[in-house]
Amino acid sequence: MMPLYVALLVGAIMFGIGLYGALSQTNLVMIMMGVEVMLGGALVNLVAFWRFLHPTVYPGQTFFLIIMTVMALDMAVGFGVGTARFRARGSVEAEEAGELKG
Amino acid sequence: MILQTAFMGLFGIAAIWFAVVVFRTHSMVRSALALLFSQAALGAMFLAMQAEFLGVLQIMMMATEMAIMAIFMVMFMMDPGGLGQMEMTHQKRLSQAAGVIGAFAALGIAFLAGWGNPAATAPGPQAQLRGLGLDLMERSMLIFETAGVTILTAMVAATAVAVATRSATKRKEDRE
Repeated sequence: MMPLYVALLVGAIMFGIGLYGALSQTNLVMIMMGVEVMLGGALVNLVAFWRFLHPTVYPGQTFFLIIMTVMALDMAVGFGVGTARFRARGSVEAEEAGELKG
Repeated sequence: MILQTAFMGLFGIAAIWFAVVVFRTHSMVRSALALLFSQAALGAMFLAMQAEFLGVLQIMMMATEMAIMAIFMVMFMMDPGGLGQMEMTHQKRLSQAAGVIGAFAALGIAFLAGWGNPAATAPGPQAQLRGLGLDLMERSMLIFETAGVTILTAMVAATAVAVATRSATKRKEDRE
């Protein structure tokens, strides 16, 4: 049971650090880094659940691939939005994007 | 099992340490590199968990992703080297509280749930790849195809958003 708990502990701490980063940073790229750390924590849990609970079936690994796809998409769309924002305002600081509140 | 746990713990501590460094350093390039090392340590942890394909995939994906991220950071940041010691955080108390509560909630679920008996062995790398391939092409095919279409959509959307419109380019030229 011990290795499963080690993995879940690492996943939970990574999630907490990522959540702190995503909420505390003012720069779009740093916010995306926080999201990446959170998703990294989720990946650890997925691999641990597959390895220690259901190693003979593979939906866990498939879900891992989906999460990795989400990580890549988050980067691609985030940088697209960042580029548009930088071109329009010369900055990607979240505090200067107050007009997006609606 | 003890050696596996020891390596998992070692790589886990490395991943956590580098994740902390990401948000503590003022240099954006160091931040990107710390995130790369953190994600690579997670990849090494997956290798220690005998998920060879996923471990190697994680390291390869993150190496390219973080290289691109470092380039964008240098492009977008006013002080990418962190020499000016700019403050780049806000609502720190709230973020710390949210991070701690999130981590404890996840830990609570992890340690209070009954997970049953853990499996002692995992299939070999060849059997894993075969099983994953069959799963992707049979039971999870719709999910896999949906992921492919989503990637295509995101590529088109990201390019469409990032490409300057003619009016925006004209406005910039007028300003200059």
